[in-house]
Amino acid sequence: MSEILYIFYILPYIAFAIFIAGVIYRIINWAKSAVPLKVPTTAGQQPSFKFIRRTWVDKIDSPSNKFWAFVRMLFEVFLFRSLFRNTKYYVEKGGKNADTRWLWLFAMLFHYSLLIIVIRHLRFFTNPTPKFVSMIEYLDGLVGVAIVPPLLMTGVLALVALAFLWGRRIFLAKERSISLPSDHLILFFMAVILVSGLLLRYVVKVDLSYVKMFALSIITFHPPSPEVLNNLHWLFLIHFTFVCITIAYLPFSKVMHFAGVWFSPTRNMPNDNRMRRHVNPWDPNPEVPILARVGIVVDGQVFKSKKLDWNTYYEMYKDQLDEIAENNYVLKPEL
Amino acid sequence: MSEVPEKLEIKQKFPLWNKWLKPVTEKDYKSGFYSYMALPKQVDSEFFKMPFGDVVREPLEKDWKLPENWKNIILNEMKDTLEKNRAFKVFMDICVRCGACADKCHYYIGTGDPKNMPVMRAETVRSVYRYYFTPFGKIFGKWAGARPLTEEVIKEWYYYMFQCSLCRRCSLFCPYGIDTAEIVWWTRRLLSRIGINQRFMCISIEASSRTGNHLGLYAGGMAGAIQQGLEELKDITGFELHTYINKKGADVLFVAPSADYFATPHWYVMLGYLLLFNELEERYGITITWSTYASEGGNFGTFHSYEAAQLLNSKIYKEAERLGVKFIIGGECGHMWRDKHQFINTMNNLPKNEEWRKFWDDPDLGQISGGLKGIRLDDFISGEHGWIHILEFVAALIKHKKIDIDKSRNDHWKATYHDPCNVARGMGMLEEPRYVLRNVMNHFYEMPEHTIREKTYCCGAGGGMLADELMELRMRGVMPRMMALRYVVKKYGVNIMLTPCAIDKAQFPAAVEYWKIPVEIGGPMEMVGNALVLTALGEKPEDRKYDLRGTPIREEE
Repeated sequence: MSEILYIFYILPYIAFAIFIAGVIYRIINWAKSAVPLKVPTTAGQQPSFKFIRRTWVDKIDSPSNKFWAFVRMLFEVFLFRSLFRNTKYYVEKGGKNADTRWLWLFAMLFHYSLLIIVIRHLRFFTNPTPKFVSMIEYLDGLVGVAIVPPLLMTGVLALVALAFLWGRRIFLAKERSISLPSDHLILFFMAVILVSGLLLRYVVKVDLSYVKMFALSIITFHPPSPEVLNNLHWLFLIHFTFVCITIAYLPFSKVMHFAGVWFSPTRNMPNDNRMRRHVNPWDPNPEVPILARVGIVVDGQVFKSKKLDWNTYYEMYKDQLDEIAENNYVLKPEL
Repeated sequence: MSEVPEKLEIKQKFPLWNKWLKPVTEKDYKSGFYSYMALPKQVDSEFFKMPFGDVVREPLEKDWKLPENWKNIILNEMKDTLEKNRAFKVFMDICVRCGACADKCHYYIGTGDPKNMPVMRAETVRSVYRYYFTPFGKIFGKWAGARPLTEEVIKEWYYYMFQCSLCRRCSLFCPYGIDTAEIVWWTRRLLSRIGINQRFMCISIEASSRTGNHLGLYAGGMAGAIQQGLEELKDITGFELHTYINKKGADVLFVAPSADYFATPHWYVMLGYLLLFNELEERYGITITWSTYASEGGNFGTFHSYEAAQLLNSKIYKEAERLGVKFIIGGECGHMWRDKHQFINTMNNLPKNEEWRKFWDDPDLGQISGGLKGIRLDDFISGEHGWIHILEFVAALIKHKKIDIDKSRNDHWKATYHDPCNVARGMGMLEEPRYVLRNVMNHFYEMPEHTIREKTYCCGAGGGMLADELMELRMRGVMPRMMALRYVVKKYGVNIMLTPCAIDKAQFPAAVEYWKIPVEIGGPMEMVGNALVLTALGEKPEDRKYDLRGTPIREEE
């Protein structure tokens, strides 16, 4: 019987292999794609004459060089800068805009709670547990010390935020309409993981020593003894399996936004177009426009436009251009 | 021109994913929302030849006469696009459908059509991408939000890719910076590879590729138009002014959107340019020339494809080189500045003339005239590029007190300022126009905070949407801007909305008429022209009796 349980020992390796390979593949795939134009969305005053005032918000939102573009990325990734602008438009109130930064708030709560939860889980994979992990767990439990084990705030917050984020996809017509099955699927995975985790801690109060032995066996590549496996709670196995499935699923899902956002040309490029020329890798020396140089090749056929250079233009409109020249290139009011 | 009903109703619909995966086809097209398709004379022209453009196509007909191999062409081109443009690829992959972009789109707000949400507009393309380019899409099909490429999908793309003005407001709010304009722009490029092009933008692209400007003006016509401006200025100011055209050896090349030569209210801005150029020449000896070859600042190619954009903007650096100028000043236009700020120096090699190089070694206007010493263009632009916006230029002139201003001449105007989308989000020129306006007029008021600066609402006609057949879409799309305008009109008595964008100036007069807002439309340079005292020519502040529209400046006493 316990031999079958070794599946759970193999599972995380498979999941991680898929995850790592998948993420690397996706990143390389994005990186390989060319960036033809420098197209930042400028969300603030451009770098300009010294007498034009630029606040620090402008410097971040309309970065003048790579350093500030990097700062902009940090704000985007760690503080969800763009989502912080969120508003809702009310047609019926004559275009009144209402602040809807609650989306930002719950997104922040959800993501940061998850981050802290993941860090807290390091205590299972390390021996002895590093100071900062115990510290974070201690701080996390400060508010909820009244019960045993202490109620960790991030677990609760993540669940609330998840309920909120899923709830808007279910109850709000617009969000329901734009949601695909995959949007619900990933939320379902998260819900199972969160709920089972909370149950394990507060209701089942599972024996953590075996869980830790199991976790350490994974991290140290030493298969666990059958005793450890036999003593793992079934709810833990569900929790664990869903974590593995989710990890393996990530590279194929929209969750890749965590990596993709770094590649977003509207955010990661500085607004210095007029200072530094951007070279298009597939059109590096555009002496003659593509349409007149090679044309468009479709299905073996070439569609080439005639080039309107000055000489061609002059030949076409010679009389009129000569008249302008006769007047010495000056225009004056006729009397 | 399609009739717009007096009363618009916004019907919001929220179909579930399995419903919206079914494409919207020509049977569902609504008049006022779909564009006409380009004719052979536009896309099979000698100077602008698009694949399979030799066929007349009618959007409402069932048979779109696509080339036999259309499916392979699209899929190959899509693969090519994924390799050629990282933005397109990343944006196909990382959307989480959070919905932050949805009600940021003026077309979605105005129409309520679910596929006008930026996220859904992109999903119409993403669903096809998933089907052919992702493992989950291949395996799970519909359940992974994927669908095969069919002629119906092409029709849906045509409908929705041409209901986007590329204003990028959604990209501002997207937590990953997903830019619908990138997706739409490159999908339009895909469509152009099987002969599907929008007529409105292609008329202008073809005209510009053949004559140098969108209007298809010949050299003589353009010269005549500017000349007429000089005549009008003679009536208004009493001075005999002049300007240069195609002049070799001028210091600066000036490039404006061609609408400025004819259309109203663009015309008043044109008069403003001419006044400024004359004062500068008389006072500092700086010569500024127009060009009939590089007679178009705007670039409708930027609505169509990379290649079309390059075809049109390639002329300008060439002309700068031929004329031997030191730098280029650009006029008031929105998408022009996306092109001139973000595209042109990537799409083209820089001018190689001696004057240009020498000027940019130490880009101080003192090189041109001792009187302008101290105005340094490398504060924000360097020799790499050589473009300066007329309002940046004027701001510097005002700051350094190089021109004389009489603010009181604009006292009959109470103005507000509309940020053109591309100038705001594709360039970041937010403060310069405001600096200029505060210095040339006494009454300047801002619209509500969420509708200005980088959050500015589109006029609803950019990106090729200025077509007459899209009138209902335009009037709906402009609604958020009109609500903001109505607010300041009521609150402060604003009587003019200024905007440095040629498309805005064409769209807003129609829009304020439809939405019944008693306000004029103009450009900042018109106000500069009004307030500019032609000191060098001997004008005194009190001399000017009429503004550039010919209305008396001061009440008769």
